Amino acid sequence: MPTITFTQSTGEAAEITVEEGTSLMRAAVTNGIEGIVGECGGQAMCATCHIYVRPEFAGQLPEVSDDEDEMLDCTTAERTHASRLGCQIKMSGPLANIVVDVPSDQV
Amino acid sequence: MSTPNAPTAICPFSGAAVPAAEAAEAPQVAPAATNGAGVAAPVADWVTIPDLYTNPFPIYQRMRSESPVHWVPAVNRYMVTSYAACHEIEQDEARFSADEKNSLMKRSMGHSMLRKDNPEHQVDRDSYGATLRPGTIKKHWNEIFAANHEKYLGELLAKGPGADFVWDYAAPYTAENLRLICGFHNSTQEDLQRWSQTLIDGTGNYADDPEIWAKAAVSSAEVDAAIDEMLPVLAKKPDHSLLSGLASMPIPLEAIRANLKMTIGGGLNEPRDVLATTVWALLKNPEQLEAVRNDPKLHAVAFEESVRWVAPIGMYPRETTQDGVLEGVHLAAGSRLGVVLGAANRDPKVFEDPEAFNIFRPKKPHLGFGGGVHFCAGTWIARAQVAQIAMPALFDRIPDLRLDPSAASVDAGWVFRGMTKMPVTWG
Repeated sequence: MPTITFTQSTGEAAEITVEEGTSLMRAAVTNGIEGIVGECGGQAMCATCHIYVRPEFAGQLPEVSDDEDEMLDCTTAERTHASRLGCQIKMSGPLANIVVDVPSDQV
Repeated sequence: MSTPNAPTAICPFSGAAVPAAEAAEAPQVAPAATNGAGVAAPVADWVTIPDLYTNPFPIYQRMRSESPVHWVPAVNRYMVTSYAACHEIEQDEARFSADEKNSLMKRSMGHSMLRKDNPEHQVDRDSYGATLRPGTIKKHWNEIFAANHEKYLGELLAKGPGADFVWDYAAPYTAENLRLICGFHNSTQEDLQRWSQTLIDGTGNYADDPEIWAKAAVSSAEVDAAIDEMLPVLAKKPDHSLLSGLASMPIPLEAIRANLKMTIGGGLNEPRDVLATTVWALLKNPEQLEAVRNDPKLHAVAFEESVRWVAPIGMYPRETTQDGVLEGVHLAAGSRLGVVLGAANRDPKVFEDPEAFNIFRPKKPHLGFGGGVHFCAGTWIARAQVAQIAMPALFDRIPDLRLDPSAASVDAGWVFRGMTKMPVTWG
């Protein structure tokens, strides 16, 4: 099964194994990953599952929708070119073993 | 949605708060645990609705320290008061349904998205389109909110010292914003205020008072007529409002009507109450007000701390779909729950010194806007009209705003909590 590695700003990393089709937000919330809140349950409505995706995986990601784009403007931590909402990225073959960084602030 | 004159008034969102006569019929003991799966919820027969209405927070402190879940005869449902248990409910709609049986909210307002589970809920939710989203707020609503704010702040100033912050300013300002967001160009902000309160009162009409039902029915019919009139107008001449978007969608009229009534209920009193509560808290904590004045970014922090400290919607209902255990407490299938956000947001396991209003506390996620699929659709509208538009302009225009020392403010309510009286002065 694919894995996701969430790296905190402290450098601490947690690797979790998930089913295909699970979103990064849901995986983080289910496994109690600190710094991922996911208030709105995955509707791209709250901007509290902000993550930075490592560049080597950027090419495999789905396009940023308009809803996600406007919500990324509302994140607490700075938006960068690597910013995505975890709820909008579902695990699939090419993303297996993806590594993401969790922002220092989410709310 | 505090209801100033009705200590036992009920919330359309929770359907809770049973008046004394009805409470007497409620079972006095919680169902026993079965199969050793979790312990039975303790019975909080000492909790009364008048006490909750006056000040629920000492009650919540005692409840949280005893158990995350209680059976509360006076409310005729379980009350869930710990942060962890409320959070677990929000994240699991399969076990905790929003589609409550015998819901008075459905009777008063129709079956809105707030009482639906997915996939039905999502169809309605999606029908609201981009109207309430940050992009539309930035491009369209902020300018309108600023103009409305100028008008109603002017009316407060014209009324002079001793004016009431809630009824002479916060209520008409938020009602006018909501009128335009909904697209009721054929109605007034006073209509919105009347509809909101009477539909809420109807939804809470456990005593089956025919007069309350009659008033709610009049408002319901007025809203239906206003919607019927506006839909073809907005279909021809679209704008950014909810009704305009709905005019071109394959959504049944019945759902449009119910969802608009829910929005009229939830979209007015919540921003009104959070605006008044935040300003009240800042006026009572001058060092925090000074910090906000010196750093405009802190308006947003004060807003969030206020929503944590006094969640404007303090409780909402859920119903269990199966036997199960919640934070160690057994709940049978079909159990009626009150998810008490007002208590969860003051859980000392999560928030240090939780009873204090403190904008400098470490930032942590509160549950004030709910969570999961029913996360408040108006969250960004509330943040914009209160923290971005109203608060900075208010303290700029009335730098010496203060609570009127000759007339006490009143904060009240539990299902909905806010300021019911807040005389202010300046100059």
